[in-house]
Amino acid sequence: MKFMKSIRTVTAVAALCLAATTVAQAENYKIAFIARAQADSFAAWLANGIMDEVKKYPDMTVDVMDAQADDAKENAFIENAVANKYDLIIVQPNNGEAQRPYVEQAVKDGVKVITTNARIKDIPGSSSVDADPYEQAAVNARLALEQVPQGASVVVLNGPSGNMHADMRRDAWQKEFFDKRSDVKIVGEQIAHWNKEEAMRFMEDWVQANDKIDAVVSMNDNMAAGALEVVKDDPKFDKMLAYGVDGTAEAMLLIQEGRMTSTALQNAYDLAAKNISVAHDLLTGKIEQIDTDIDCPLVTKDNVAEFIEIHKKSGAIK
Amino acid sequence: MNNLMTREKWQTIKSRYSIYLVLIVMIIVCNLLNENFLSPRNLSNISAQISVTTILAFGETILIIGGLLDLSCGSVLALAGVLSVYVFKETGSLSLAFAVGLIVGVLCNFVNGILVRRFNIPAFIATLAMMTVARGIALLFTKGQNLYQIGDYVWFGQGKIGFVPLPVFFMIIVGIVTWYILGHTSFGRSLYAVGGNEEAARASGINVGRIKIGAYLINGAFVGLAGILLMARTNVGAPNAGQGYEFEALTAAIIGGTSFSGGLGTAGGTLAGAFIVGFLNNIMNLTGVDSYLQQVIKGGIIALAVGYDMWAKVNRTRKTLGAAKLPNERKEAKA
Repeated sequence: MKFMKSIRTVTAVAALCLAATTVAQAENYKIAFIARAQADSFAAWLANGIMDEVKKYPDMTVDVMDAQADDAKENAFIENAVANKYDLIIVQPNNGEAQRPYVEQAVKDGVKVITTNARIKDIPGSSSVDADPYEQAAVNARLALEQVPQGASVVVLNGPSGNMHADMRRDAWQKEFFDKRSDVKIVGEQIAHWNKEEAMRFMEDWVQANDKIDAVVSMNDNMAAGALEVVKDDPKFDKMLAYGVDGTAEAMLLIQEGRMTSTALQNAYDLAAKNISVAHDLLTGKIEQIDTDIDCPLVTKDNVAEFIEIHKKSGAIK
Repeated sequence: MNNLMTREKWQTIKSRYSIYLVLIVMIIVCNLLNENFLSPRNLSNISAQISVTTILAFGETILIIGGLLDLSCGSVLALAGVLSVYVFKETGSLSLAFAVGLIVGVLCNFVNGILVRRFNIPAFIATLAMMTVARGIALLFTKGQNLYQIGDYVWFGQGKIGFVPLPVFFMIIVGIVTWYILGHTSFGRSLYAVGGNEEAARASGINVGRIKIGAYLINGAFVGLAGILLMARTNVGAPNAGQGYEFEALTAAIIGGTSFSGGLGTAGGTLAGAFIVGFLNNIMNLTGVDSYLQQVIKGGIIALAVGYDMWAKVNRTRKTLGAAKLPNERKEAKA
């Protein structure tokens, strides 16, 4: 009897030890999130979202690394993450093609990799979580097809040349709007590098050079907000339409005030949540590989209230 | 004899004021290219557009004349700006927010001055370090996010005094202060002496260290002010604002005739340099020049303007020396 009791005790202790070891092992998943540039407000929003989201998973920890918009730094971080035996790397590329060979090597070295915002396509063994940049602009362009008046004069504000999101958004506007509306005239088009102040300078000059501007087509919200800042007290531009992408807090407020027409939400919280959930599924063996997108809902005055709540949650809107 | 005097006088005027001649030629050409160019609204726009970088350029002019440099102004501008916006959002006090912006600019530049003066770190390296530190603090403080809903704070950047936009008003004030410091104070004279020949200045009893720290403190106040104006103009407290502004400020100062070797430069020249760049950007946008082509044209015209200015100055030196060859040309001939 005593012997049986001892066996039971030993078994119970062993089971406890095993459970403890399993928990200890499970708590050991190390993830490296390599951010494109934390000076970029969207990248910072995504990094903050990832840090918040991972708290829901006690078996995972995330280290955030800032590539400072530099390909060499980003590639070095990928190499270092492999060398430091991270279990999974989430790469937010600065330039997909520059990071491709390093991601391929990481996959070959047996590390799980997710590419996000924007995805690096066609790397066997790697997964991806993204929002489709073409669709983000296209939802706005389709709305503009109905709204922009005949013979309209429009100005276009582009992101940095060579940036995948900038190029694909511009491509969407071309195919979904400009190719279908030959009556519309582009009276000004410049690269404002996602930057509000630069967009303001261009808009100030365009307002001088043109009697009327019917619409601002911008590849992100920041530049659209810059253009609107210039004409905010000018009744001549009361009916000017303005389209952006990203769904920043500022854009939501402008849409609510009726000054901006629409944007497509690229929700960093959704992106962060999906990245972390995919990471967990990959690390626990639930899935082997996945390519998935978050939605990019069109935001207009009709539905802006529900999206403002997202920014209230982050503290960007009080 | 009279003819010769008149010719010499003309040569002197031409070389001393060559940058203003370039500016006048530009105004004429731009006006021919676009009828809106000289409209009051367009001129007001250009002035407002260049105001922030011109204020930075006045600071750089003071530093470069003294043989110094500030690569951190873009980052310090962002730090001063976001902290100022934050204070306004928390307290609602415009004057407190304004003071915080200036103090942050001055403190960062005090550190620059100490690094250069006490630790003998070259200005290039010291301000490069500050550039990274200040940007990092701005991003840490805001977690990389913009500060929105800045309310009445926009008055600094979008308000007007009469018909003059406030940033332009501040730019004029800073220009007058720079002009006065450089031309009408013993600090200004000492600054030229330190930049021209530091050892000689020291030998003549000038407290070189104090002059250098003083130059950084003045620059700091200008940078802080520029930060406040930029955030207010764009209606957002952006921690990533002002990237690359150090180079725009340096460009304006150098085009305006400030010599990188120190001891040479004027507030008027810097203002003219800033307007040359501003006019160039403006006319290319008004006439719809392609974005990539703009960069090529801008670089080419800046090289032409500075080249002409340098050529005119060399001519003046030749006349002053009364010799056919400059010292370096004589050395080459001997070799």
